[in-house]
Amino acid sequence: MIVLKDKISKLSTNLSQIDEIKGRSLWHDAKIRFLKNKAALISLITLLLVLLFSFIGSVFAVWSNEEIDWSVLGDISTMGYPSFKTGHYFGTDELGRDLYSRVIQGTKISLMVGIIGALIAVIVGTIYGAVAGYFGGKIDSIMMRIVDILMSIPYMFVLILLLVIFGRSIFMLFVGIGLVSWLDMARIVRGQTLSIKKKEYVEAAITIGVSHFTIIRRHIIPNLLGVVAVYATLLVPGMILTESFISFLGLGVQEPNTSWGALISEGAGTMRYGTLWQLLFPLFFFVVTLFSLFFIGDGLRDALDPKDR
Amino acid sequence: MIKFTLKRLSIAIPTILILIIISFLLMYSAPGGPFTSERPLPEQVLKNINAKYGLDQPMYKQMFNYVKSIVTEFDFGPSFRYKDRSVNDIIAQGFPVTLKYGTWSFIIAVLFGVSLGIIAAIKQNTFLDYFAVGFSISAQVLPNFVMAPILVLIFTLYLGWLPGGGWEGGKIQFVIMPVIALSTSYLASIARLTRSSMLEVLNSNFIRTARSKGLPKYKIILSHALKPTLLPVISYLGPAFVGMITGSVVIDMFFSTGGIGLHFVNGALNRDYSTIMGITILVGCLTITFNLLVDILYAWIDPKIRYDS
Repeated sequence: MIVLKDKISKLSTNLSQIDEIKGRSLWHDAKIRFLKNKAALISLITLLLVLLFSFIGSVFAVWSNEEIDWSVLGDISTMGYPSFKTGHYFGTDELGRDLYSRVIQGTKISLMVGIIGALIAVIVGTIYGAVAGYFGGKIDSIMMRIVDILMSIPYMFVLILLLVIFGRSIFMLFVGIGLVSWLDMARIVRGQTLSIKKKEYVEAAITIGVSHFTIIRRHIIPNLLGVVAVYATLLVPGMILTESFISFLGLGVQEPNTSWGALISEGAGTMRYGTLWQLLFPLFFFVVTLFSLFFIGDGLRDALDPKDR
Repeated sequence: MIKFTLKRLSIAIPTILILIIISFLLMYSAPGGPFTSERPLPEQVLKNINAKYGLDQPMYKQMFNYVKSIVTEFDFGPSFRYKDRSVNDIIAQGFPVTLKYGTWSFIIAVLFGVSLGIIAAIKQNTFLDYFAVGFSISAQVLPNFVMAPILVLIFTLYLGWLPGGGWEGGKIQFVIMPVIALSTSYLASIARLTRSSMLEVLNSNFIRTARSKGLPKYKIILSHALKPTLLPVISYLGPAFVGMITGSVVIDMFFSTGGIGLHFVNGALNRDYSTIMGITILVGCLTITFNLLVDILYAWIDPKIRYDS
């Protein structure tokens, strides 16, 4: 038998190529759609730049965030302006500290609060909502009633009450934000769970005797991830706004730590003396980051929303 | 309708009670009493003061008295920081101020927001529409604590048209900036909601029917499209109210208007527990009442809600 070696090898390569063609999953489709969305893509790049700035920006800093430049202290408005010569790229703050380093520090803390706050909300809200939606009936109505009640309380006031009573610290800020931020998440997740619960694969799992806990963990939660991911990206700016609000009032992050809210507050307090840069630099980072986060959230929602298909 | 209202009331009243109890428990669990200071008082004096304020009684009794005096007499007790003023005095002093600019902000946000949204929807894809959309996206990242310094920067420091703070009994020039700062982001959200809701309604069948009957455009919009358009806007009024009441804290701080927000932050900084509790409870009651009214209004407009529940 004549073996057409080259043909067979061609066939085998063809076959192996066929193997490489992958099915288009929901996430793959979403990625393509997301990358086509220019506003979201630019926002993603901007956000990465801000992140990069917060991590390696301090390499270029001449002054640390704690050093006081005695040569400008006392005459900030005429000597503390932004300049490359003095090494204060963003100028100095009212106490003669380098604003560039302070902004880096504030960026780190604000982003951290945003991400950790959103993470707490995602974990607590997903579990709570999935349990309420999955079990339904009395458990559901009691759990959701609790959420309704907590939602109608003006949480910012309760949050500040918490901070006053248990001391103002970043840790308390996390606890407080975490306590109130999961409510919306729980509602959204519950709504989704209600529809997932009726799917055949969940019924099949129940018939073969899988435990409730395993069904929630293996079948319900993985199918919730799309919604959760979208909502989580929209939560991050919300958390940053909350933290900045509290820090603006002077009740959140305390010296020597700082955050965007605290920096904006300082800058707003001193702008009457002609030291505008103290307001504008933190404000710029705050606005740009929030803009990017909102656009990324919108882009993700469009990418993952099955309505568009 | 009456059944619906009663049902909502049966949620609202326990919510208020729970709010009062939570704030009481928070205050009770605070480390140190209200009269422990760096220079400790003689033991006998402390004992007498505690007896005067009823702090020597067991916990459940204190709680009962506190709840009772609020519910029956609307009395929030004495301030722990200012010996000559009760919490009621502080609220009576600050609340009218907050009420005045708060009401104006709310009216302006709703009126202008809805109008802008409707105009943008009718003139879709024109310059007006782009302006409205651009404005509502930018206003997302301009919360009140960012708007306030920017407004002062422009109107006080550069143009010199408006005073940068103060109240003076609520003269118009002192009210303008607080109102703008407080209402902008809500105005934008309402405009965005109205626009997308109006676009959806304008594409529906009954509008096409009305149009094919030859009704004039203004009549279609005012008597057919407006009511269904406003439903999502109405459900947003509750969160907007909470947001504005929270925002009033920033306004009071930044513009020194002397509303309850100022007393709240001062109380928070001075650990004046009874004052911040009183304000939290007052704000909570206002929010819950307002949400109740919104729910009833919603059910009155949309029969689906009142028959479903």
